Amino acid sequence: SRAKDVTMPAKLPVNFFSTRSPVIDLFRGQLDYADHLRQDSEIVLYFFYAPWCGQSIAAREEVEHVAGRLSDQVLFVAVNCWWNQGKCRKQKHFFYFPVIHLYHRSFGPIEYKGPMSAVYIEKFVRRVMTPLLYISSRSKLLDFLSNYEPGVLGYFEFNASPQPPGYLTFFTSALHSLKKDYLGTIRFGVITDKHVAEEISLVHSGSVYLHRHVNTSLIYPNDVMNYTAENICKWALENREMLIRWLRPHGGKSLLLNNELKKGPALLIFIPYNPLSEINPLLDEITKVALEYHNCNKSQPAEPDVQHFGDVGSPAFDSSAPDAHMKLSETFSITKYPCCNTVVLPQWHSISRTHNVCELCINQTLGVKPNKVHVPHCNFLEIEAALDSFYLQERTFFQVISNTIECNNFLSFYSPFSYYTACCRTVNRHFLSFLGSEKTIFQTPRVAFSSHGKKGTTQYSVPHIEDRNCFIPDLHISGTNITGLSCRTNKTLNLYLLDSNLFWIYAERLGASRSTHLKEFATIVDLKEEVHYVLDQNQSLVGSTLENFIKNFSIVYSPLKRHLVDDPSVHFDEQRVIAEVTTNTFHDTVFLSEKNVLLLYYAQWCGFCASLNHIFIQLARLLPPDNFTVARIDITQNDLPWEFMTDRLPTILFFPHRRKEQSVKFPEDFSVNLPNLLKFILNHSRLSSSEPCTKECLHKETVLQQGHISHLEREIQKLRSEISALHQAHDQLEAQLSEARREERRLQQQKHTLEKQHKTLQLHSERLQATYDQKNQELLEMAEKLQELADASESLLKENTLLRILVASREGKLHNKDKIKESLQSGQTLSEDDSSASTATATLEEKEIGNIDTIETEHSRRNRTE
Amino acid sequence: SFSLTLIDALDTLLILGNVSEFQRVVNVLQEGVDFDIDVNASVFETNIRVVGGLLSAHLLSKKAGIEVEVGWPCSGPLLRMAEEAARKLLPAFQTPTGMPYGTVNLLHGVNPGETPVTCTAGIGTFIVEFATLSHLTGDPVFEDVARKALKALWKNRSDIGLVGNHIDVITAKWVAQDAGIGAGVDSYFEYLVKGAILLQDKELMSMFLEYNKAIKNYTKFDDWYLWVQMYKGTVSMPVFQSLEAYWPGLQSLIGDVDNAMRTFLNYYTVWKQFGGLPEFYNIPQGYTVDKREGYPLRPELIESAMYLYRATRDPTLLELGRDAVESIEKISKVDCGFATIKDLRDHRLDNRMESFFLAETVKYLYLLFDPDNFIHNDGSVFDVVITPYGECVLNAGGYVFNTEAHPIDPAALHCCRKRKEEQWEVEDLMREFYSLKKTKKFTLKRASDHSEGESAKDPEDAPSEKGGDKRNSKKNSHSLLSCPTQSFNSKLAVLGQVFLDNT
Repeated sequence: SRAKDVTMPAKLPVNFFSTRSPVIDLFRGQLDYADHLRQDSEIVLYFFYAPWCGQSIAAREEVEHVAGRLSDQVLFVAVNCWWNQGKCRKQKHFFYFPVIHLYHRSFGPIEYKGPMSAVYIEKFVRRVMTPLLYISSRSKLLDFLSNYEPGVLGYFEFNASPQPPGYLTFFTSALHSLKKDYLGTIRFGVITDKHVAEEISLVHSGSVYLHRHVNTSLIYPNDVMNYTAENICKWALENREMLIRWLRPHGGKSLLLNNELKKGPALLIFIPYNPLSEINPLLDEITKVALEYHNCNKSQPAEPDVQHFGDVGSPAFDSSAPDAHMKLSETFSITKYPCCNTVVLPQWHSISRTHNVCELCINQTLGVKPNKVHVPHCNFLEIEAALDSFYLQERTFFQVISNTIECNNFLSFYSPFSYYTACCRTVNRHFLSFLGSEKTIFQTPRVAFSSHGKKGTTQYSVPHIEDRNCFIPDLHISGTNITGLSCRTNKTLNLYLLDSNLFWIYAERLGASRSTHLKEFATIVDLKEEVHYVLDQNQSLVGSTLENFIKNFSIVYSPLKRHLVDDPSVHFDEQRVIAEVTTNTFHDTVFLSEKNVLLLYYAQWCGFCASLNHIFIQLARLLPPDNFTVARIDITQNDLPWEFMTDRLPTILFFPHRRKEQSVKFPEDFSVNLPNLLKFILNHSRLSSSEPCTKECLHKETVLQQGHISHLEREIQKLRSEISALHQAHDQLEAQLSEARREERRLQQQKHTLEKQHKTLQLHSERLQATYDQKNQELLEMAEKLQELADASESLLKENTLLRILVASREGKLHNKDKIKESLQSGQTLSEDDSSASTATATLEEKEIGNIDTIETEHSRRNRTE
Repeated sequence: SFSLTLIDALDTLLILGNVSEFQRVVNVLQEGVDFDIDVNASVFETNIRVVGGLLSAHLLSKKAGIEVEVGWPCSGPLLRMAEEAARKLLPAFQTPTGMPYGTVNLLHGVNPGETPVTCTAGIGTFIVEFATLSHLTGDPVFEDVARKALKALWKNRSDIGLVGNHIDVITAKWVAQDAGIGAGVDSYFEYLVKGAILLQDKELMSMFLEYNKAIKNYTKFDDWYLWVQMYKGTVSMPVFQSLEAYWPGLQSLIGDVDNAMRTFLNYYTVWKQFGGLPEFYNIPQGYTVDKREGYPLRPELIESAMYLYRATRDPTLLELGRDAVESIEKISKVDCGFATIKDLRDHRLDNRMESFFLAETVKYLYLLFDPDNFIHNDGSVFDVVITPYGECVLNAGGYVFNTEAHPIDPAALHCCRKRKEEQWEVEDLMREFYSLKKTKKFTLKRASDHSEGESAKDPEDAPSEKGGDKRNSKKNSHSLLSCPTQSFNSKLAVLGQVFLDNT
């Protein structure tokens, strides 16, 4: 048996990492040894874990992966901080595991709070390794400044002392910023060259500069704030420009999205992001859009033009760009933005419609003039020229169809020193964009869009906005330019980026297709209005589509339609008793069908809905299927237009045939059961007319009666099976009854025999009683006799004494010896008689007791049988 | 003994898919279980484990491939056993207040000198099992005593609408006046909701909603629920109890998913700190409470995760499941089972495994990771059973778990006895569908006659009146038996993100 107060200590800790791992595993929590190890290495990463923790186990592999790549420069130490005998547990008190701490020499700990994914951890470690970027040349400066993340630059002259004053503080502030901001969104750079520093008008060694794209850049106010690492970091965080922000929920409870989305409508862009990769063309393109969007002060560009796209020219273009262009961009190290427009190439009408479109981009090469104003959109002349250059060459556009890029160089008409590079690439998928030049805009009627949500017919020649698969043409946003749009519109968007490798679930829940392999998605979420719009996933996510998306959102009569998320996992199934409706099938099932429709709004998690399932199944089986549909819609998975939404679940709506618009709601204060539902349907499904009977009516009647007959047949079928069940039950009962009867008979027989036994026993007892009485009588008689005997003996004794007296008197008289002997003998015989009488009484008494005993046992036996 | 663990773990076997073992155990039970024994048993525990376990096994036995009697689900060997066990408990309800004693002797009834002090949960945790029994067997006595006990508690709530921890069932005086949602009270609230769902009973739901208001007002702080004095509402213990973790799951059943998720995330942080939930956790100190450091592998947090996963599909909930599996496997696994963790601070183990580990923890954990389990049926599949009382639709989902994780099919309650009258009514109505001359206007019947009859008899007890203005409750037009739909921001409320109401 188990002992009660026996306890067993926890198992001893064992290796968490394999012994061959590049990570040093201090599984006994030797924190002192860990500190000792730190002295040997410049950069140390501590991984504090608990062996039972799922997250630690999941992160183990990731850390090991990073360690495999960086072990030559960084020391990786894992410490079991759970084992209660270990030093670590005694000294540190963590609320969660794992915890990653980094040390840069003596600076630390810097806690890593980012996602437990190898690439992100590695990126962070690398930032800790080199918190400052060394900006040695102009091109590096431009590279640094062109980044979408805010940058802080310090200028230090290294020729003076071994380390210029303030440099160490600046370095520390760079490390310090990593504590606040694990993503390292503020980049720190240091300029050592005087000429480079002059580019951003820094002249004094030790000055710190915060670069901003839209607003004027700032110089750290040494005179106002103390020059400390914390202050610099704080200043940068407070003043940085957040044109576009990464959202990275850490997984714990947080209000991040709540706080950000409550600021106003937000454009969420999901892109797959690798923090380690140096180039990210898509991100550059998005940044460009963001910059443009926020660039309110067009006439006064605050910053030098720093858009610098390596040596290929444009990120959208791959290396198949022609040599001429390569040369040009090498000669002039700074190229302008490419401007892109989508054009239809008229002579390809014979080819398929989708390939009939070309995204024409023009790269204008200019002299090195960093302060040049952007030309974000190709002007008409440029496009015209570009088109001409294509047409003139009369090229065969094979490559276009095979999705490669065609480029052409031509001279600008009005500036013989500038070249244009016009490239054409097919726009993939259904990107059906029409001419973007101003010429066509005038020819197109302006389209005003009625309220969304209804499928009206369209008389416009342009593809109607309601048509999902059709891209909203450029011409709707004619005249609207994205540059500085954020200041001109009253619907300002905040722009956010999310890594779709980590947060694709949000995209899915906002309606991103689950099947797509390309995890790119853009959506505008308006929390206040409870709507969101989605950039059609059939379009590739590029700068121009994004721009259009923003423009369409911003204009007054926005052509964007509220996106309704539907549940893709539901497949229409005729066999189901209850039709499962989704967003996409709602209209067809409810409004287009020729039946009365009873629609149940439900949610799987709502207890009150699920317990009604059986009632609706019964109802659906009962109602004539030719006239009625019982359907339901999971409202958590499927959005509906506002007018069909409900705020409580379950809700039951009835859409009568031919009067679908007059839907009625099942009254909420009545209980949902079969008779009530039937009455409800009956009350609302009847035809209003009481017209005299015509042929048609007769026909209807017959149809109805046929329906009734089939219903009755079904009912009979049901009754039959019920009857058979009853029969079965009956048979069972019968069997049980006969069994019971047999049992009863058996019992009766038993009773009879028992009664008989009882009678004999009674007889026996009577007899015994009689004998008892008899014996008693005898006993009494015997007693009497005894009494008599006793009396007799007493008289005899008296006689004896009298005799003795007589004898004595005679002795006295006679003194004769012989006579005395005689008298003694007679006395002995008398005493023998006496003792025999007393033994007789004793035996009688014994018999009596025995009799009583038997009577008693008889009584008890009788009781039992009774 | 009456094979407690065996009965308790029976339906777990089926949910895990081990049909043959389920069948074997059913046979073992039929031969070997005897309730005519001289044993003092907890009325509450016997009900939730034995009666509940037998009822759910009875209702699932057809699914498990056992050949059932003709009258199933209205008769059967397991049902008879459940009824027998329940009858043994009835003597405990013979008190002046209708609230049951805590302990009863299975052979002799209530022992003379038995203490009249019972915890609140021990009084209000019968309606699910007893109403099911009454509906299946046709004997109303079970449901009646359960309802009477619930009403007695309702009548004795404090002025601010809270109930304490222990009450004297003879004098109806509160002995322990701590009010909260955890130990001693927990399943009372749970059964008000689950009873309302199972029986479509507005009265039970309105009771719960009133309590819910008071709980939010007095005990809720920053998504934690504390313990307060039931008359004054002052905080008496700022602790979180492991048993309280059922609350988010309960909230999700009535549609309060946002709050549920927020509270769940709080509780999850405690798990992350220790690899389990301590019986008591001091919230301000962020640490365990002395003598309450154990974790007997309780199911409540996992239970909530299962319910919430149904509602949100949030991967965070699966992460908790992963953590639970790792913890149980790494910490508590021993040669003969899974041991209670005696102390979460050092993971010392105790020499016991609780019955609820197999009945609940394993079951909920399995269901969390098995979205296609028949228990999660959304009503798209169902069984039709012909009984002598007519045709029945069964196993259409919506299973209501009793507090020991024994699922009850709500459809089964509509299958026996009372059905015939309704069937004739339905048949009459169906005739109307096929007649051309439709002139009759039908009036719908109000809510179930049961609660109506009761409240008519005892108008002072009707919760809507004590809860405030009668007009108010009428103005509040939506049905009590419904959930609110989820707001727009629920689309983004995953991976730990929570949203604040604007209101």
